[in-house]
This record gives sequence, structure tokens and C-alpha cells, in this order.
Amino acid sequence: MSTLVTVLRLPRGPDPNGRGFDPNSTRFVALCPTTISASTETWTDSVEVGEEQRARSALRESFLRTLIAMTNKQVQFHMYERVEVEAKFGASDIDVLNFQVSELQTPIGVQKEALLRAKHRKMLLMTVYDADDPPIELPTDD
Amino acid sequence: MILSLDPSQSESKVSMAMRQTPLTCSGHTRPVVDLAFSGITPYGYFLISACKDGKPMLRQGDTGDWIGTFLGHKGAVWGATLNNEATKAATAAADFTAKVWDAVTGDEVLTLAHKHIVKSVNFTQDSSCLLTGGNDKIIRIYDLNKPEAEPQEITGHTSAIKKALWCNNDTQILSAADDKTVRLWDRNSTEVVKQLSFDMSVSSMEYIPDGEVLVITYGKTIAFYNALSLDMIKTVDAPASIHSASLHPDKDFFVAGGDDFKLYKFDYGTKEELESYKGHFGPVHCVRFSPDGELYASGSEDGTLRLWQTAVGKTYGLWKCVLPGEWTPSCRNISIIIF
Repeated sequence: MSTLVTVLRLPRGPDPNGRGFDPNSTRFVALCPTTISASTETWTDSVEVGEEQRARSALRESFLRTLIAMTNKQVQFHMYERVEVEAKFGASDIDVLNFQVSELQTPIGVQKEALLRAKHRKMLLMTVYDADDPPIELPTDD
Repeated sequence: MILSLDPSQSESKVSMAMRQTPLTCSGHTRPVVDLAFSGITPYGYFLISACKDGKPMLRQGDTGDWIGTFLGHKGAVWGATLNNEATKAATAAADFTAKVWDAVTGDEVLTLAHKHIVKSVNFTQDSSCLLTGGNDKIIRIYDLNKPEAEPQEITGHTSAIKKALWCNNDTQILSAADDKTVRLWDRNSTEVVKQLSFDMSVSSMEYIPDGEVLVITYGKTIAFYNALSLDMIKTVDAPASIHSASLHPDKDFFVAGGDDFKLYKFDYGTKEELESYKGHFGPVHCVRFSPDGELYASGSEDGTLRLWQTAVGKTYGLWKCVLPGEWTPSCRNISIIIF
């Protein structure tokens, strides 16, 4: 009996650029849920699944286009405790956890650059407007 | 691996003693305080780790490869669990919330507000209900199909709850708290069925459904109880204060780790200490066997998880057994002693 054990490689560590959950992994592709509920495993109608996927994709695309269209526009954030702040919208991160804004008008002064956390509120409403158009209310991803 | 020539033999014989080579999973930046495995799924099994950095991670269970990080908690995460299918995760945190996550996409599905630090989360077998427990001393049962409904509450503990687990086919609940008791509750009546009292706080609790065994650690002791009757089966004392222990699925070994940074492996039948392994650079807070029993994972104050082989020298996961003809000097972790 002459054997020895070696290690093929070290376990892969986290990706510094993202939170993982690779959408191309076998498991993700097979299980990617179409509804956020406990009944996902019993979903068997592939036509309904396909339709819901298409609807979700369309909504997601619409939301992303909205974010792009908002770039450099004046935005009003309606936050908890009836706080409202205005800023120039910059960008959202990929998980829509943070918004990058400029010239944030706060009760204690103007912040040249700021990051607003998007997910710690129950609801976030943003009103986008510019001088020539009436304000429009946008849906939020929550 | 130690390669030695035995001088007592007429012909020199080469024999190999296998040395445990743990796999280190890095990524956390603070102590790892809890970990849990899923069941065995068509995609293998998975491991979730709870960390004081507030970012619980999901890993492939047999390799330790990072899959994703659950982002959202605003404080240390004290407890983490997966459902059997590894499709859902739940975490308990110092931000006074328990969260339910989609373990495939990493998305946060539910936030359950509590009135104090949450320490423990546990799914029922069918993932329909979530049990929580923490510093407000109340055990709560959430119906995940009706998350907006008020949870069922079980009161009685007089100090912070460390762990709350479903048992007996999810008809009963086991809880361990800083009031130095372990209590068995009936889920429907919410009354206490039986209670164990100790001289000191219980540091950890593991429930093995197959065989209804409860593994409890306190001080230097690892104790085994019948989970239905709370009758004691046996106790074993370790050389150091133990924070966590786990019984092998076949109930032939158990492993334990604690204050002296080491992992201990014991024979469950004879209570004999078989092996001890150094590796961590801080106290071991949690240890669990994988669902197939081939490895066990430990989490430490040093911020790492380590995977250890149950049968050292076996080809499994990232460990490979190499025959002499295949061995090359580039193989890792080899030392040679000749005397």
C-alpha cells in the first residue's frame, strides 16, 4: 500500500467585482426561479414559464432604459421620515443597491458627490423632472 | 504525507502515513461563527457560512469553491442555514433581522424584522416554515407562504436563545439558550415538553434526524441525547473548551473544535480520541459533517473555513490519491522523512 494524497488546487475564492451566483452555471440555468415563492419547484407548465420570463425580461429592460434615461437629470428622492432630497442622478450599481448622485441637496448642505443606499427603505419613489417637461413618476425595483 | 523507511524490517519497506491536508476557504474578513450544509441535491451539496462581516457566503460543499455572497445585512450575521434542496437560504443577524434568500440567484426574498439580535434560523423539511431565535428570548415560527402574517411565538426562555431547531418531523422544536437550558417544545401547543438544565451555557447544538440524536456542547464536554426523550446517551470530555461538535451520519465518529484552535476526531462508540488537527489560527466556532460524511467543515475566529477529510488519503473533491508511479515532485503538500 503506497499511496499519498495531494491537493489538486485550492478552493476558489470570492470574485472581488461581484456577488457571484453565476447565471451561466448549470444549476442557475436549470433552476432560475420565475416566481419569488415557495412553489417554484412545482411549476411544470413550460409555456407559462416562457411567457412570464418574456414579461420579466421586458420589464427589466424597460427599467434599465429608464435608469439610463435618467442620467444627468434632476431627481427628487422621497425617503423615509418624509425626507425629500434633490440631486443629479448619475448611475445605479448592477444590483440596484446604491445610486451615485451629484450635487445632493440635503438639509445640512450640498454634497458634491454621494452614494444613496437604495434597499434599506421599504419604498423608494423618485420623481424625475427637467425644466421643460412636467414631472413623471417612475416605478422602482423593489 | 510522511514517507519513512522502517529500519526494523530485514528488507526496507516504504510505508505512508497520511497527513490531513485541510482545504482553506478564504473570503471572509471577520470571524466565521456558524455554518450549515444543505442536503444532497442533483447539483451536489452546498455550504453556507455566517460571518461577523455581515456577508454570508454560499460555497460548493465538496470543493469549498465560492458560489456567491448574500448582500443585504447591515450587521454581523450570527446564524445561517440552507434548505435541503439548497434553493433557499436563511440568515440571522445583529441588525435585528432574519432574511430569507433565493440560494440560486442570491436575491433577498424576505426580511423578517425582530426586536433584537437574531441568532438562529432553521427551515422545516419542506421549507414552508422558518424558525427564528435570538436575544429577545422568543422563538418565532414564520409561515413562508404567508410572510406578512404575524409569526407564532413561543416564550419561556429567560435569556438569549442561541439555537432553535425543528425536530421530530417538524412537530417539535429544540432550543438552547443562555439561561443554561435546552428545551423541547410542542409546535402546536407551544408548551414545553421537556427541559434539560446545565451548570453552564450550552455552546452549540446539532440535531440528527436519522436516529433522533441531539449533540450538545458545553465547557469541555460533548454530550449526546435522545432528541425525543432528552435522555442522555453518553458524554465525552475533550482536552479543551469546545464550541461546536458534529456527529458523522454513520454515527461512528464525531468531530469537535473549540478554544485551542484544534479539530478533534473521536470514535463515537468507544469515546476514544483518534486524531487532532492543527490548522486554524483562532478558536473554532463551528464544525459540521457534510451530508455524505466524506468531509467536515470548520469555521474559525481567524475568518476562514477549512474542509477536512474524514478518511484521510481518499480521492474526493479536491483531494487526490496518487499512486507512486504517478507521483511527481510538483505535487503539493509532500514531506519526506528518512531515518
